[in-house]
Amino acid sequence: METNTSVKAVNQPSATRQVKARANKKVPVNWRDAFWGYILIAPAFIFIIGFTFIPVIGAFGISLTKWDLLSQAEFIGFDNYQRIFSDNVATKTLLNTFYYTFVSVPLGIIISLLLASLLNQKIRGLAIFRTFYYLPVISSTVAVSMIFRWVLDSQYGMLNGGLAIFGISPIPWLTDPAWAMPAVILVTVWRSLGFNMLVLLAALQDVPKELHEAAAMDGATAFHKFFYVSIPLITPAIFFVTMTSLINSFQSFDLVYNMTQGGPARATSLIGYYLWEQAFKYLNMGYGAAIAFVLFFFILVITFVQWVLRRKWVFGEE
Amino acid sequence: MLNKTASLDTYNRNRLLIKFLSYFVLTAGAALMVMPFLWSVATSFKNAKDVFTTSPFQIAFPPDFSAYNEMLERVDFVRYATNTFIVAGLITLGQLFTCSLSGYAFAKIRFPGRDAIFLIFLSTLMVPAAVTLIPNFIIMRSFQLLDTLTALVLPFLGSAYGTFLMRQYYLTFPDELTDAAKLDGCNPFTFYLRILLPNSKPILATLGLLTFQAFWNDFQWPLIVINSESNRTLQVGLSYLRNEHYINWPLLMAASVLTTLPIIVLFLLAQKQLVQSVKLSGIK
Repeated sequence: METNTSVKAVNQPSATRQVKARANKKVPVNWRDAFWGYILIAPAFIFIIGFTFIPVIGAFGISLTKWDLLSQAEFIGFDNYQRIFSDNVATKTLLNTFYYTFVSVPLGIIISLLLASLLNQKIRGLAIFRTFYYLPVISSTVAVSMIFRWVLDSQYGMLNGGLAIFGISPIPWLTDPAWAMPAVILVTVWRSLGFNMLVLLAALQDVPKELHEAAAMDGATAFHKFFYVSIPLITPAIFFVTMTSLINSFQSFDLVYNMTQGGPARATSLIGYYLWEQAFKYLNMGYGAAIAFVLFFFILVITFVQWVLRRKWVFGEE
Repeated sequence: MLNKTASLDTYNRNRLLIKFLSYFVLTAGAALMVMPFLWSVATSFKNAKDVFTTSPFQIAFPPDFSAYNEMLERVDFVRYATNTFIVAGLITLGQLFTCSLSGYAFAKIRFPGRDAIFLIFLSTLMVPAAVTLIPNFIIMRSFQLLDTLTALVLPFLGSAYGTFLMRQYYLTFPDELTDAAKLDGCNPFTFYLRILLPNSKPILATLGLLTFQAFWNDFQWPLIVINSESNRTLQVGLSYLRNEHYINWPLLMAASVLTTLPIIVLFLLAQKQLVQSVKLSGIK
């Protein structure tokens, strides 16, 4: 009953707005107001069109050329896109990016969901916990990279020092190709927890208490309440957190640039990093732009998939 | 009867156990969040010789400031900080201005093509920064703005996200307010200045903090655009300290601490707004 009314309350304004909007079409345009409308959006419009919208089209144009900035750009059609598939480093980079994304994102979300649900009890010191978990989120990636190069130092680092207490022998985190990616994932998860946790906690706090009480009356255990009451109600927040994490990890540059430079032996070369390397280290603007477009394509696919899934799964949306 | 009290006992004992475990996990997690920072602070107060021999969290008394002194001698940290402050500050002010104006227009003013233009704004949210990196670099190059602070500010003066946030906020303002102002002979701009802005302080504070923090920490764009040392931002300057064969850990940690400290202080002072901003972004 409670959800029914709240869903109605959410739907009603949009319904009336739609009706209003339809009615508005018949109202003749007040050009005096319209003039002000255009003036007021003009500053934001100019910057967004000039530095985001047009550059996207420009980037596609550049991706069809061979251009080192020094000589004239030469049109080569889709050669740059073909090159990606024959370039061993590019394919390794793509695989690395998938490895990085599909381990760090689920791991980050599961842990932050656990933390958020722990914080959603009657817990003392909520504000303190929140502050501590949020510190890594607001710190710059560059500083975090530097700190973790030290923390992960195989000989003197804090992490190996801590593991030694449990009798674990030193791990060559950043020097061994097999360990470098887990190290980068570890730092990524460490950094993402605070933000994800806060979004999920806010959603959990909005779950009506009555629902849990009703479920408890019907004999539901805490476990059932979590999986059958809370989780379905916070799916929009889970989707939001998944999307932001996916997009962030596909673009990741700062962390690998400062922690590993894509190494050792290309083990942590990610799309965002390889793109920078091609465009700004080797001045292959065209090839760099093509890689950027592949990245863009992945993000569009993810956005589309989540949009479809959202219609199916997310509570309260039809 | 006996059974009932027994089950009540186990119930209470389970609750207590859950509470205890919750606090344990949360505290352990919080410790893992903070320890790298504490360790970097402790390291920054050692000198390059002691760092490998003294115990990790031990700080000499009085603290050894040699790492800080050496860093300030070696790089123009004050210059980097000033540059960063100017860039992040100008972007923040610019975005607050452009986004509140456009957010207001999209929420409260009717004009042909409004919804289509708003959709264009929103569609740019999907564009990853990596895609605009190369063309924007070329734009700056053709304006001969490479290696200037202007190039760091200019591309970010408008924001689709900020516009969206402001629009959502202004949608909650009653239409009667706009209508009454119109009757009083206010044009939309004077209405914006006299009535809207003074009533948007909380959302402006939230958007401002978010923007300032993001551009204080911004790294890739300044790395690409800036060449000369005098125009470096803190993040770029910090990153260059890494490019040495022999890593001086206390010095590197001192620089990391100083780069992060202003943002952490700002966060502690304005926690409420930042928490609020997370909730707002979650609604999206």
